[in-house]
Amino acid sequence: MTQENRSGRPQGRPPEGDSRLTRTEVQLRGPFLLFFISSVIWLLAASVLGVIATLQQGSLVGGPFRDCEILTYGHVAAAQHNLFVYGWGFNAFFALNLWLLSQLGRFELRNGWLATLGGVFWNLALTYGVVQIFAGNQTGFALLEFPREVGPVLAVAFLLAGFWPIVAFARRPTGHTFASQWFVVGASFAFPLTYLLAQLLILWQPASGVVQAIAHSWFVSNLLHLWFGASALAAVYYFLPKVLARTISGYYLAPVAFWSFILFAGWTGPAALIGAPVPLWLQSVGVVAGAMLIIPVIITAINFHGTLSTEGGWSRAWNDTTLRFVTFGAVAFTIFGVLNAVFSFRSYNAVTRFTSFAAGQEQLLTYAFATMVLFGAAYFVLPRLTGSLWPSAKLVHVHFWATALGAVASIVALLVGGWENGKQLADASVSFQQIAQSTTVWNYVLSVSAVLLLVGHLAFALNAFGMILKSSAPASAGRHD
Amino acid sequence: MKNLNSLLAGIFFAVAFPFGTLVISSQVQLGSLGPAPAEEGGPLFPSREPGLAIQGRAVYVSLGCVSCHTQQVRPAGQGSDIARGYGVRASVARDYVQQMPVLLGERRIGPDLANYGARVKGLDGVHAAIKHDGQFAFLYAGAKQEVASERAVALVAYLKSLRQDYSSPEAKLKQ
Repeated sequence: MTQENRSGRPQGRPPEGDSRLTRTEVQLRGPFLLFFISSVIWLLAASVLGVIATLQQGSLVGGPFRDCEILTYGHVAAAQHNLFVYGWGFNAFFALNLWLLSQLGRFELRNGWLATLGGVFWNLALTYGVVQIFAGNQTGFALLEFPREVGPVLAVAFLLAGFWPIVAFARRPTGHTFASQWFVVGASFAFPLTYLLAQLLILWQPASGVVQAIAHSWFVSNLLHLWFGASALAAVYYFLPKVLARTISGYYLAPVAFWSFILFAGWTGPAALIGAPVPLWLQSVGVVAGAMLIIPVIITAINFHGTLSTEGGWSRAWNDTTLRFVTFGAVAFTIFGVLNAVFSFRSYNAVTRFTSFAAGQEQLLTYAFATMVLFGAAYFVLPRLTGSLWPSAKLVHVHFWATALGAVASIVALLVGGWENGKQLADASVSFQQIAQSTTVWNYVLSVSAVLLLVGHLAFALNAFGMILKSSAPASAGRHD
Repeated sequence: MKNLNSLLAGIFFAVAFPFGTLVISSQVQLGSLGPAPAEEGGPLFPSREPGLAIQGRAVYVSLGCVSCHTQQVRPAGQGSDIARGYGVRASVARDYVQQMPVLLGERRIGPDLANYGARVKGLDGVHAAIKHDGQFAFLYAGAKQEVASERAVALVAYLKSLRQDYSSPEAKLKQ
C-alpha cells in the first residue's frame, strides 16, 4: 500500500486507488452510511419545504396555505434554510470529509462509535430545532434560528462527528500532504470556532445593538465559505485528478489558493451590511475582502479548468457521472467568485441590496457548487462502500438533468429577478404594489425550479437507498495487508 | 503545510483575527452607546420601549417577519429609502441600543418597517396591514376577523413603537 509513496508519486495527484474496498473504508462504513442516509433524508425534507416556501412567498396574491400559522413563510423559509444547511450540508460533508482524509491519510477509524454517536446527537438536535421553528420558537438570526439550547448540543455533536478528519491528518503515515487535506482540516477546525463564538455573542451573551448584526454577518460568511466552500474545494481537488488520472495543472499554486481563501473569507461578512447602521470602515473591509477573494478563485480556476482543458478532459468529464457533477460544481465556483467580487462594490450593492440577489449568490455557492460536488462524490464513494452498482442508469440521468436545470433556473431567477427588483426599488416612483406584481413571473420560475430540484433529489434518493438496501457486502470484504 | 500545528495555527489566526477586528473592535466602538439627547438638556432617544411592544417583538420574531421585512434606512445616495418615505434620515447604530434582538433584516419582500410607527395613522391601518389580505388571519377571531388576539395587540404595539424620526447626536434632523 505504500508503494506509490516510495516510487515518488508526483505532487498534485492523490495516491492511486484500489478498486477493492480498503481496510480504512471498512472501518468508516458505518458512520459514513449514517451521515449519508440522514443527509439525503434532510435534503428531501428541505426540498419539499423549498417548494412550499416558493408557493408561500408569492402568497400575498393568494398562496395555497393561506391563514395557516405553521406554514407561514417565516417558518417554512427558516426551516428549509436550516435543514438544507445543517441537515444536508453538514451530514453529507461529515461523511465525505471523513472518507477523503481517511483515504488520503490511510487512517483507520477505530472509534467509529464516537462518530456515530455524534451523528445521532447532531440529527436529534436538528429535529428538535426544526420542530421549535415550526412551533414559533426561533431567534430571528438567519442560520442561528434554532432556540439557543440547540447550539451547545450541535457544537458537541460536531466535535464527535466532524473532528475525525483532523485526527486522520495528524495520524497520516507520510510527510506528504495534498491540497484536499488542507481544505478539509481548515473546514473542520474553522467551523466549530466560528459557531461557538457566534452562539456566545448573539444568543447567550448578546452584544449590544447592531454588534449582533455584525457578529451574525461574520458567522454566516464563515459558515458558507469555510464550511461549504472549503469542504467542496477539497472534494474537487481530489476527484478531478483522481478520475482523470492526471496531475492538477499549476498545482504549485494550490497552497496560495488555500491560504488566500482561508485568510480573506473571514473578512467578507460585513459586505452583507452595506448601507446598514454600522461603521463605514467595516463595510469597506467587507468590500475589499470580497474583491481579494478573487485570488483563490482565479487560482482554483487555473487548477481545475486547466486540468480539464488538457487531452479532452472536458469530454471525459462529461461522460463520467462523478466528474459531470464535480465539473458542474467547479464551474459554478468560478462564477460565484467573479460575481462575489463584482457585486460587493457599493454602487452595484446599492441596487441588489434587500433583493433575492444575495440568496442567488448563496444558492450558487451552496447548491450549484457544494451540493453538485457532493452528488458527484456520492457516485464515486457509495459503490465502493456498498460493493454494489447503482440500480438505475435512468435515475442517474434524471438526477443530473433535474438538479442541473433546477439549479440554473433558480439561480437565474434569484439573480436576474433580484437585479430587476433592485432597479425598481431604487426608483421611488415605482410603488411596492407594482414591484410585487413584476416579481410574480420570477416566483413562478422559482416554484418550477423547486419542483425540478425535488424530482432530482427523489431520483437520487431512490437510487442511493435502493443500492444501500441491496448491498450485502460483508465487512470482511476488506483487504487485510 | 506538513505540520499540523502550523496549519491549525494559521486557520485559528484566520478565524480569530477577523473576529477580533470586525466584532470585538465594533463592540469596543459601539458597545457603550446608550440613549442620548441630541442637544444638551433635550429628551433622551431612543426612548424605552413599552412592555407591550417588547411582547410584540417576540411575536414578530416568532412568526419570522424578519424574513420579509427590514428595519433599516440607508443613507441618501444608497437606494431610495428616504425618497420612498421609509425614514427622514439614515438609521444610526444608536437607534438600536434598546432592541433585543436587533432585527435589521436582509430582504425586502415587504416594505421596510424602521419608521412604521411614525408613518402609520390609526390602529385600524396597522391591524389591516398585519392581516396581509388574510394571510395572518389566524391572529384574529370572529366572523370578519374583527377581534384581535393578544398576540395581534402586542404586535400592533410593537409596530407602533418603531420610529427613528428624532434627532440623535450622530444624525440631526434638519429643522
